Amino acid sequence: MKPRRGIATSLVMVPLGCLIAVPFYYIVVNTFKTQAQTTQSPLGLPQRPYFGNYSAVFHNTPLVTSFLNTLYVTALSIAVMLIVGSMAAFGIILSKGWLTKGLGVVLIVAFLVPGQSTLIPVYQMLVKVHLVDSLTGLVFVYSAGAIFCYFLIVGYMRTVPSEIIEAARIDGAGPFRIFWSLMLPLIRPILVTVGVFQTMWVWNDFITPNVFISSPGKQTLVLQVYTAIGQFTTDWPAFITLSVIVLTPTVIFFILMQRHIVSGLVKGSIK
Amino acid sequence: MDRLRERGAISLFLLPIAAVLVLLFLIPLAQSVYYSFTDYDGYSATAHYVGLRNYATAFTDSSMFGSLTFTMIYAVSTTLVITVLAIPLAVVLNRRFAGRNFVRSVFFFPAVPSAAILGLVWTFILNPLGSGVVNSVLHAIAGIGPVPWLSDDRLAQMSVIGVAVWAGTGWHAVLYLAYLQSIPAEYYEVATIDGASSAQMFRSITLPLLTPAMTVSTLLLLTGGLKVYDLPFTLTKGGPGFATHTITQSIIENGIAQGRVGQASALAVLFLIVVGLVVLAQLFIARRVEGRYS
Repeated sequence: MKPRRGIATSLVMVPLGCLIAVPFYYIVVNTFKTQAQTTQSPLGLPQRPYFGNYSAVFHNTPLVTSFLNTLYVTALSIAVMLIVGSMAAFGIILSKGWLTKGLGVVLIVAFLVPGQSTLIPVYQMLVKVHLVDSLTGLVFVYSAGAIFCYFLIVGYMRTVPSEIIEAARIDGAGPFRIFWSLMLPLIRPILVTVGVFQTMWVWNDFITPNVFISSPGKQTLVLQVYTAIGQFTTDWPAFITLSVIVLTPTVIFFILMQRHIVSGLVKGSIK
Repeated sequence: MDRLRERGAISLFLLPIAAVLVLLFLIPLAQSVYYSFTDYDGYSATAHYVGLRNYATAFTDSSMFGSLTFTMIYAVSTTLVITVLAIPLAVVLNRRFAGRNFVRSVFFFPAVPSAAILGLVWTFILNPLGSGVVNSVLHAIAGIGPVPWLSDDRLAQMSVIGVAVWAGTGWHAVLYLAYLQSIPAEYYEVATIDGASSAQMFRSITLPLLTPAMTVSTLLLLTGGLKVYDLPFTLTKGGPGFATHTITQSIIENGIAQGRVGQASALAVLFLIVVGLVVLAQLFIARRVEGRYS
């Protein structure tokens, strides 16, 4: 009875899964065709794979620059978020004053404020200090994500027994020693989870670069794909080839980090 | 002395987050509220007080009212459809069957890449011309002429919501799955011994124990839906007309491209109030529902 039911489920779910994946199959398979072939049989496999789209895209778009821009912004933003977030969590854990309690409440409120409602003033602030159209400016905007990191990290830090901190204190370690050499290694799992989760946000984000970046040389990958649509309106196999190239790191990241992505999703949602 | 040193250290630890809070939340929020009562254009030295005019315009201007309407439709319908699909999907994905890991990953994956890129890719898939595979398949199978997926008001709205459901259902199913896996198997064993049918078990065990997950998932869907920008913007640019215009798109267009900072700020404040009300209402309802089951 049991194994038969398993087979029935497979017979329904596996084809359904394939149906969900059709758009991905479609874009990947058509990067290996000429435009005439795609129009003729949009879903068929090419008789002989054609690589012209790939060489054209690498030739016509500054992919390496955009990739490095994205990498720079993502790495720096995540580092800032994690450091600011874990420092704040540690400060809140150490202190018992009413002022810090108040700060904790303000952070909850700030966490619920959508970025859209502060976007225009932040934009004008960055215009004033000449950080619009700069990658550093993007990192500054993303540092707002430190508040989300703080929430996940402080929850995890509370599970660390306070005796460990006390023991280190008795041994004569100052707060900074305790933070760097004791706390950070202990909370590594949550740092990885939050880091992975926020990486997906920054790497994939469209609204911030679209608002703050205007020079072609400072584009992130997502923005590059967006601007390329004007360039490739007629040559759409070239456009989807660009999309597939840009999606490749995401796929690799997904395969390597699936476990962390799922745990981040679950932990992030409980907050 | 030691006490004092520790207090100093605590302030140093809290300093960076306080800076983030002040620079990226408190000051901008105060400015948004202030600008919303003025005709500030982003460049002039002066701004004039205009009372509630900007707020009134938000409800009368066709682009802004269109964006308010579509954002509501989008938030509510993606929440409903994704929830209705994700819960049964999670129940099925919790069973043992061959190829389960593959199916889980495939359903989950569309939530991983950038929504903006997916939107752009789908513009090609839904295109009425040669690249539109949906239309060419429909033509080949049913002989239906090209369907204007993205150029008819209703169809464009449905297409945006459809792509969002495609991208989001697996993600939320995985969220429900995590909660399902924490339900002890004994509950079902006892119910089976008592002769409960699987429909009864779903109604009396699975659904009540999933209410915390439903609170979380629908809250994420509703707030995410209200904040949406990437997907409709890349798929339809907000068109045709203002059929798929979003609040965020209106804020950006008014406040940055057109220099109507006062107007954009009024929208931003309204937006903040709506999101706040939705969060409060949701938490209130969730508490009552969870209270009934426990």
